[in-house]
Amino acid sequence: MKNTFRLISVSLLSILLSFSFANASSGTFKISHDLGFGKDTNLDAITKGRLFQVVIMTQNRLVRKDLKGKVSEELATKWSANADATEWTFNLRKGVKFHDGSDFDAEDVKYSLMRVKDPDIGSPAKKSMSSVTDIEVVDSHTVKMKLNTSFADFPLLLTDYRLRMIPSGSGDTIGKTGIGTGPFIVDKFDAEGTTILKANPNYWEGAPGLAEVHVIGIPDGEARVQALLTGQIHMNRYVPFSQKKIFDGNSKFDVSVVPTGNWRGMVMRTDTAPFDNPKVRKAVRLAVDRQELVDLVMGGAATVACDTPVAPSDQYRLKMKCPQDIKKAKKLLKEAGYPNGIDMVIHVSTKEPTWPTIGEVLQQQLAEAGIKAEVKMTPSKSYWNETWMKKPVAMTRWNERPADSALHEIYHSGAKWNESYFKNPDFDKNLADARGELNFNKRRKAYRNAQKTLWEESGTMIPYHVSKLVVTSSKVKNLDEVEVFSVRWHKVNID
Amino acid sequence: MFFLVIKRILLGLITLFIVSLITFVGVEVLPGDACTTYLERQAFGAALEACYERLGLNLPAYERYISWAIGVLQGDFGYSLSGEMKINEVLGPKVKNSMVLASASILIGIPVALLLGIITALWRDKLPDIIISTVTIFSMTIPEFISATLLILIVAIWLEWLPGIVIVPSEASISELLPNIILPVIAISMIMTAHMARMVRSSVIQVMASDYVQMAILKGVPYWKMVFKHVLPNALLPAINVVALTIAWLLGGVVVTEVVFNYPGLGRLVIESISNRDLPVVQALAIILASIYVSINLIADLMTLMLNPRLKSLQIKK
Repeated sequence: MKNTFRLISVSLLSILLSFSFANASSGTFKISHDLGFGKDTNLDAITKGRLFQVVIMTQNRLVRKDLKGKVSEELATKWSANADATEWTFNLRKGVKFHDGSDFDAEDVKYSLMRVKDPDIGSPAKKSMSSVTDIEVVDSHTVKMKLNTSFADFPLLLTDYRLRMIPSGSGDTIGKTGIGTGPFIVDKFDAEGTTILKANPNYWEGAPGLAEVHVIGIPDGEARVQALLTGQIHMNRYVPFSQKKIFDGNSKFDVSVVPTGNWRGMVMRTDTAPFDNPKVRKAVRLAVDRQELVDLVMGGAATVACDTPVAPSDQYRLKMKCPQDIKKAKKLLKEAGYPNGIDMVIHVSTKEPTWPTIGEVLQQQLAEAGIKAEVKMTPSKSYWNETWMKKPVAMTRWNERPADSALHEIYHSGAKWNESYFKNPDFDKNLADARGELNFNKRRKAYRNAQKTLWEESGTMIPYHVSKLVVTSSKVKNLDEVEVFSVRWHKVNID
Repeated sequence: MFFLVIKRILLGLITLFIVSLITFVGVEVLPGDACTTYLERQAFGAALEACYERLGLNLPAYERYISWAIGVLQGDFGYSLSGEMKINEVLGPKVKNSMVLASASILIGIPVALLLGIITALWRDKLPDIIISTVTIFSMTIPEFISATLLILIVAIWLEWLPGIVIVPSEASISELLPNIILPVIAISMIMTAHMARMVRSSVIQVMASDYVQMAILKGVPYWKMVFKHVLPNALLPAINVVALTIAWLLGGVVVTEVVFNYPGLGRLVIESISNRDLPVVQALAIILASIYVSINLIADLMTLMLNPRLKSLQIKK
């Protein structure tokens, strides 16, 4: 009887202990993913259903951004272009092996990148490869990429987080295996539960500091924060700013505010009166107090933008100041023939939770310049179909992309997503010049001129680029403080 | 009796039909659909058409409803729009997981509720009643999402005794699930137990005040013999219906609790599929939840009928 009691109490105790110490097992880094829409169900980086939290650790790109945002080597060690930047030659790293033991060579590069263009796959990354017409295998570790246009910043496009190298011919199985050349190897793949990654001891940058990585599916945002608090995961890169206080001053957690290139904005259609007059558009944009929006809407966690979509950390960003100027705004409105100001309706929705708040602050700010703005709510589920690019004034949001893509995709006169219907020959010419210019300083000048044109004429008011709140357990060491796609995962350690 | 059962089953089927219609129309009138949700900004032109084609959303609504209904009658819920998986396969493990959660809550909740209800009734207005009643009323008034969050805060974050949220795949075995469901079960059974305990209490008090119990007391029947032989059998009979209603209510409580604890069951699936506009899954879930609701009520009614001869004879006379 006594023995039985002892047995029960010992086993109970050990169960309790195993609960409290299970999370502290050294060498395992636990992170979460949100399952996404359509369930993130595969490990094929170029498909819409890719579980990127896994592929960024198991597969490499040719090039990546270093900690300062410059293109640096990964599986490519050197690259150069011909005189008009239409042909790019990449030298590949030698002696790199895939997780299945096969060698990484030029055929794999050709296969991995050309399959992005396959219409049957319908990859969302297709755009990044659209200028590539052919990839020629020069020798086992050299490839030549041929473009249909001059593109001086082509290597920057190849830093796209989806353009990862997989073994040639593995397209049918990659979704399940996730095989690559990366620091971690897929041990067990379970999108809805826990995916287990094991260290790749032969990783070409050196063996990883972590023995295992667990990637756990947790769809609910609140549950993810709770999992972080209870130590069930070690990192959450999507903590809402309203919950910053929970972690501030807690020695168990490290809180960092990482600037991003993601932005929110208000679009005025440049083909619709009164916004077809550039003076009216500029008047509206001048009447905005951007710093106040950053403080009121984002609690200070954003970087003021002067209507440029180019990220704060991007080397091509035009640096300028744009304080609220009510006097000048009124003057411009008068010149444009609206001495008594204008009326406008700003369409918002809860698709983006901050839109309605931005709308209300704008309403107050614009009123000072005699602009009477009404904020109108529209259904969030049909926002992109029925409000955006349809109503004269509507809110928008974009995620970070390289300067060239951001300027082309949103403002080029021929762009599908030219949401403000912006057409300016000077702007288009600057972009074309930049693409063909191999001299960095001249290229930067062209991109900055394009952004100057936006400040003078564009219909899109971009008040700020948002920052991201990243909370990690203080046990996690050597995690680069950059966007998730540039982190060097093999360096990460855990106590 | 036989006809009564048949009649009730038919009524139940009609209820299910109406539920399926309401769900279908409800999801249909919401702005946006599975394709616009999935494609976001790319939702126009050829991509949108192709998506409609692929998911069969280009057919008129009534045609989609009819073909779906025929499938369900054959036991096939079709394919989910988002995951493009067979719904039967998606649902299987989730139904099991939710059943584990619900049955654990019921197995713990009902005996505790009976015990508490009887104690509070027999010691009415005395100290045990005052303490227990205060606690039950208190836990009745706190919604599960608050009690669940408080439980995580206290037990998982401060005391670090149990894992905060559930991290197991849907296919996890029951033994893998059990250590994870302690907190969710407490959160779910708190309100349910409190409700049932209050019902049992008033039912017992009512019977205790009835003439035949007073008579038994006057005749000198020993107190505990009277309680067990005369009071409880009569008091607990009406409680069966209350228990059935509470179990049906449990389905809603399970939804909220599963989301808070990240539990891979039906509840989490309900929330996910609604926000994904995954109409086939929403419909399948509505039908399943409604069938559980209807059948629990049916079983409760039949049990009351069988256990209470007076009701049976009344029905036959009619």
